[in-house]
Amino acid sequence: MSGTWRTKFLWIILVGFIFAIPLVAGSYVISVMCFIAMFGGLAVGMGLLLEQAGIFSLAHPTWFGLGAYVSGGLAVRGIAPPWLGSIIGAVFVGLVSYVIGAPLLRLKGYYLACATFGLLIIVEISLAQLGSLTGGHEGLMGIPPFSVGNFVLETDRHYYYLSWALCLACLWFLYNLMGSRMGRAVKSFSDSEVAASSMGVNVPRLKLKVFILTAMMASLIGSVYTFYLRFTQPGIFGFPLLVELVTMVIIGGGKTLYGPLLGAFVVMWLRELIHMYLGGLLPRTSAEVDAIFFGLLIIVILIFMPGGLAGWIDRFVYGGRRVRGRPQS
Amino acid sequence: MSFFSQVVQYTLSGLTAGSIYAVIGICWSLVYLITKVLNFTTGEFVMLGGMLTWGFHSAGFGLLPSLLLAVACAILIAIILERVAIRPVRYPSEMTYMMITVAAASVIKGVVLLVWGSETRTIEPFFGTEVIHLFGATMTSQVLCVFGLLVIVTVGLSLFLNRTLFGKALRASSINLTGASLMGINISRFRLLCFGLAGSLAGITGIVITPITFTGYSIGMLTGLKGLVAAIVGGWTMTGTTAAALILGLLEGICAGFVSAGLKDVLALLVMILFLIVRTMKFASRLGRDAR
Repeated sequence: MSGTWRTKFLWIILVGFIFAIPLVAGSYVISVMCFIAMFGGLAVGMGLLLEQAGIFSLAHPTWFGLGAYVSGGLAVRGIAPPWLGSIIGAVFVGLVSYVIGAPLLRLKGYYLACATFGLLIIVEISLAQLGSLTGGHEGLMGIPPFSVGNFVLETDRHYYYLSWALCLACLWFLYNLMGSRMGRAVKSFSDSEVAASSMGVNVPRLKLKVFILTAMMASLIGSVYTFYLRFTQPGIFGFPLLVELVTMVIIGGGKTLYGPLLGAFVVMWLRELIHMYLGGLLPRTSAEVDAIFFGLLIIVILIFMPGGLAGWIDRFVYGGRRVRGRPQS
Repeated sequence: MSFFSQVVQYTLSGLTAGSIYAVIGICWSLVYLITKVLNFTTGEFVMLGGMLTWGFHSAGFGLLPSLLLAVACAILIAIILERVAIRPVRYPSEMTYMMITVAAASVIKGVVLLVWGSETRTIEPFFGTEVIHLFGATMTSQVLCVFGLLVIVTVGLSLFLNRTLFGKALRASSINLTGASLMGINISRFRLLCFGLAGSLAGITGIVITPITFTGYSIGMLTGLKGLVAAIVGGWTMTGTTAAALILGLLEGICAGFVSAGLKDVLALLVMILFLIVRTMKFASRLGRDAR
């Protein structure tokens, strides 16, 4: 990778910045930044799937939700401590995504999207219907806070560091992955599967690997999310979250890895601004009302700025020599 | 109620649901075949039809004028959607189209929630509230309207597509878009027509089902998805879609009656996923054998 010193420098700045925010900011900013870390981590995985690997999977909120439910459910019943529950959740989601992904990833384009969208709705309805196991529509209540041994994470600040550590670890891992042989293979099959497989890339297997990897990351983030909120509801992991994640990926620009994180930052603060300034004008505020703004934003960005913010930044940085953000038609 | 009349009852409700899915599925395939856009707003137009009719009706219009106004509004919104959101995309890919329509669906849903709130609404049945008895089962006259709608839509569309020059041009452009435009067919006008037609059909469906199933801001997505299931399983053709939708409706009616009403929504989506998987398995094994 060329320009390693610049990459290292940017990483140091990013980590230092993230580390420094809680030292100066209030609890409101910290809690919003907490959500940015979680949804940003999710969006990075989804952007990788959608735009870099070309796997048109919409089931990302499902993995997030399943991870949250497994670790939350185990912790509520006292079966496993939260840290172990998170790992069990990730393993469980890995297995489920293997079983589901193996047949589903043979589909392409619209059909894969429809099947995974169906999966999203099925899981949402099933979580609401299986009342004895998941608490039904009300969801799981009374989830204990995250703890390792005797150390209990209680304040927003603790969760801030936990969620950002997880998010940046995912980002760093994916950066290294996409720079490796496997990452280049992933990029190659998103352009042309035939060309990639003629070069010796085992496309179905690699697709499945990427799918399971991002699903497990989403599940880990979901566990942290549920221990932060201390409750889960089936409605959280449904269609509104999907629209939100897609907005993050598109605003940020999924052709780069940092784009979705940037998108998450923009979307979450935009939502706070909407709630702050338009909260009095709108008769109600809910995820569906936010979706109006996000939906309009998706349409506008896709029409006028298909590369997203990251594509725009790339064009600025590389002076038009290397426009990475633009989707191929 | 005896077992037989129970079966008749569930069959009737299943067929009603099936006819609804059939018309919605035809809306999906109308747009998909010509424009290759998977229009996720279809379900929202079903919702819009019912909600707009309710809105006009409660604003003091009669039932028929508010019905016509609602359909006109649905057509207008569909045309605006095509012109403003789908036409200007610079690098059209399946993903871009799908995201735009999903986004547009959430915008429509959110606006309806803002304007009319989250309560469920209904309008009165078109031909009174008489109940028809059939083998111990009961159905309202509105159910007959739903069946009538399916018959009118399928017969009307097949006459239009097979007998008129315009319809033949439409079929030609669904088979080969480039070839059709080389023959002097104005594709851009057809895109608009398809969106408008699908929007109006979905809107009419929404109006006809409102007295039976009621309507609310959130019904669009699931209803629309079931239409999509029918269209995919039916292979995007009108006969196939109708047959698939009726079978799907029957399955759902029987599942709701004898197993669990809450899980009937899962059934349609499971059917779609299983169908898609089975289809690829068939293809994959054939391709694999050819390669060896």
